[in-house]
Amino acid sequence: MTPALAINDLAIDFRSRRGHVRAVDGAALTAACGEVLGVVGESGCGKSTLGMAIGRLLAPGALRVTGDILVDGRSVFALDDDALRTLRAEELGFVFQDPIGTLDPTRRIGLQVKAALPGRGTDREVEAVLFEVGLSDAGRVARSYPHELSGGMAQRVSIGMALARRPKIVIADEPTAALDASIKSQILDLLTGRCRATGAVLILLSHDLHAIRKYSDRVAVMYGGRLVETGPSSIIFTRPAHPYTAMLLRASIADVPIGGRAEPIPGAPPVLEGRCERCSFAPRCEWTEQRCTAVRPEARFIAGREVVCHRAESVIAGVRAS
Amino acid sequence: MTAGIRIPFHGDPLAQAGTIALVVLVGFSIVGLTTNIFGSPTTLGGPALSVPGPGHALGTDQLGRSLMPRVVAGIHVTILLSAFAVMIAATIGSLLGLLSGYFKGLMDEIVPRLADLMFSFPAILLAIMISAILKPGTPSAIAAIVIVTLPVMIRVVRAATLTVAEQDFVIQARIAGAGLGRILALHLLPNVASVIIVQAAYSISFGMIIESGISFLGLGVQPPEASLGSLLHDGRVYLSVAPWLVFVPGIVLAITILSVNLVGDGLRRTIDPLIE
Amino acid sequence: MTADRLISLEKVTKRYASGPPWARRAVTALNAIDLAIGNGETLALVGESGSGKTTVGRLCLGLLEPSAGRVLLEGRPFSAWRGKLRGRLATVLQHPRWSLNPRLRIGTSVAEPLVVGGSTGRREVSAKVTEMLASVGLPAEMERRYPHELSGGQCQRVAIARALITAPRLIVFDEAVSALDVSVQAQVLNLIKDLQQQVGFSALFITHDLAAARYVASEIAVLHRGTLVESGPASRLYQASSHPYTRGLQEAGGLLDRAAQNPAPFEVADLGVGL
Repeated sequence: MTPALAINDLAIDFRSRRGHVRAVDGAALTAACGEVLGVVGESGCGKSTLGMAIGRLLAPGALRVTGDILVDGRSVFALDDDALRTLRAEELGFVFQDPIGTLDPTRRIGLQVKAALPGRGTDREVEAVLFEVGLSDAGRVARSYPHELSGGMAQRVSIGMALARRPKIVIADEPTAALDASIKSQILDLLTGRCRATGAVLILLSHDLHAIRKYSDRVAVMYGGRLVETGPSSIIFTRPAHPYTAMLLRASIADVPIGGRAEPIPGAPPVLEGRCERCSFAPRCEWTEQRCTAVRPEARFIAGREVVCHRAESVIAGVRAS
Repeated sequence: MTAGIRIPFHGDPLAQAGTIALVVLVGFSIVGLTTNIFGSPTTLGGPALSVPGPGHALGTDQLGRSLMPRVVAGIHVTILLSAFAVMIAATIGSLLGLLSGYFKGLMDEIVPRLADLMFSFPAILLAIMISAILKPGTPSAIAAIVIVTLPVMIRVVRAATLTVAEQDFVIQARIAGAGLGRILALHLLPNVASVIIVQAAYSISFGMIIESGISFLGLGVQPPEASLGSLLHDGRVYLSVAPWLVFVPGIVLAITILSVNLVGDGLRRTIDPLIE
Repeated sequence: MTADRLISLEKVTKRYASGPPWARRAVTALNAIDLAIGNGETLALVGESGSGKTTVGRLCLGLLEPSAGRVLLEGRPFSAWRGKLRGRLATVLQHPRWSLNPRLRIGTSVAEPLVVGGSTGRREVSAKVTEMLASVGLPAEMERRYPHELSGGQCQRVAIARALITAPRLIVFDEAVSALDVSVQAQVLNLIKDLQQQVGFSALFITHDLAAARYVASEIAVLHRGTLVESGPASRLYQASSHPYTRGLQEAGGLLDRAAQNPAPFEVADLGVGL
């Protein structure tokens, strides 16, 4: 069966006066209908670029160098302008980090929701959308302006609007980063719940390890523009096969037992200027050996997940490198 | 590096053109000031109202003065006068804008409103009024440009200061106990400087228009000094018999104003992307 | 009584007026709270937006006065300290890049609290700057760089170096690691813990992140809408709290699921050298 989303060897550069920066360096990913795929990575790893690329929503200086993105088997980059517009409206939904910034500050919520509905939405349909996202006082919310809502309420509206046309794929880029702790889980419950109910694929982009772990069926760990480990979330976090995943977990302060010490990853993330012909994590990696600094690792299937690493066997065996 | 001269505003052809034009104009005027290659602007005695030709490259005026050196001298008066006036306005305006934006409170109620009041007068009218109050002459041209430029400077600097003053590093400086002078000089001004520079470029260009306007009316620069605007005033009467007396200063004036404007645009484009 | 407390808030209430002049409303940001930080101690103040935690930070820095109650520094109210506070208090704020003047070199920014104090000679200032940068793990040559050349984590370490340079008694960290990545957070928090051991300052660590709070602090206070709902040793937060609001925060942060579900990965994997 065709996967709902397939990304093949995608590479994206950003051109500026100072030269090229490679944001995505050969990313490969698939997502099946109805699943929640979490993409976890720190700032600069390229996950936002990847998410935006699905809808070809990249900044003017961005250039797709190689690879492709297939939505339901159809190439996104081969579409003409009309087909692209249809794709974005009908098949994709986006939820961004700052809901109040994403909504139009000069228009009432009701009008904005109407614009997200197919055809000329009716008030009844607007209310239905707002009910679905847990805003029971739909009439009052519809009459409000974005700045009159709390962050959580505004994000609910964004989710409602993103799902209004029952898209096949929803891409959520740090949807709870700007929200209070107690609201985060409510919003993620809502987002994942609604996506499952409508059968949409949810691509959840976040740096929050625990949210990803809790809500995703499958997880893809992103580093240096590549998806370095992809597989079921139940095994990736308990028995990581990629050094970055393992070292990231060791650096997570929330996982440290009382009296313990978190271990930060030495060094800094890479800024790539082109295809990286070796392992981009090698300079910071505990398991590095000669091969890692000379040969670009390719994806392999090990212990139930895909890993891009020469040393995956050692990592998964639980041997801590000296 | 490369053997050639590097022109600023790489990738911005309009701004580069403006820069080159300005450099050429200023170059001419410096050469004219320091040497007498073009002739002397004040020597009488040549044939009156003669057509541009071998002896006098741009012709002569009604008193037999060669037009070329007069135009060359005029360039430097026009630019310098405006630049000087804008410098004064920028200094006063920046100070008021900084204080207004940093302290807010009462000062921020009064200063911007006064600025708006001044701003609401059409600039040329204001300039004429000022020349009517002070005697016509270079000082009143300068005063006119200062008064026209001041409100814009205040507004622009105040807006930029409001943003900068909220940044954490200013709060840090206050917590560390930095005094007002230090905060203004070290923290606010350097971060607002780029805005001041861009505005100054535009204001110089506008100032030249103002000065040319009132000099054309006879209220600005007076003989024996000559700005491009006053040359227009002098030549106007002879338009039908010696049109070069009007066209040449007019075209040079237009090019000068345009090139300063293009440089201002280029500066703004260079600075804007950095303001994220 | 208050002898061993560096800073204490006694029954402090803070009210703000808000709204247009014809319809003023009083907002109570803090409601009769009691807090204290001992010498060399780190108190983490946990709360969500609107809890009043930023207000507490400002009170502790003397930037605000309480509407009721007292704020005491070393047993005396702030008004008694007029003018003699310089150098005793410092703060590290949330956004690493905005905390540093983009037009000044790192060295100048770090030196500022000392230079403003006026009593230190240039050579001594220079030596101190190098010393502070070293203590936060940055090489001396960083002094010549500008903030845009540094990463977020490095900027935050520079901010810490600046905070330490006058050997303050109290440092207020206001969401100081919230804008940093997972690994960089660990680095900066470790740095704060280590420096506190070495130097002995007291710290008020304001955060919405329970995990960071229990990691870096010895004492915790949880604030909800201006009221203190729980306070006690940080170790308490490693188990489910008895207070519903705190437990809600723990659950939201996933702190309870994980402890129960899986042992930390490196415990399973750590089979030691020589296997």
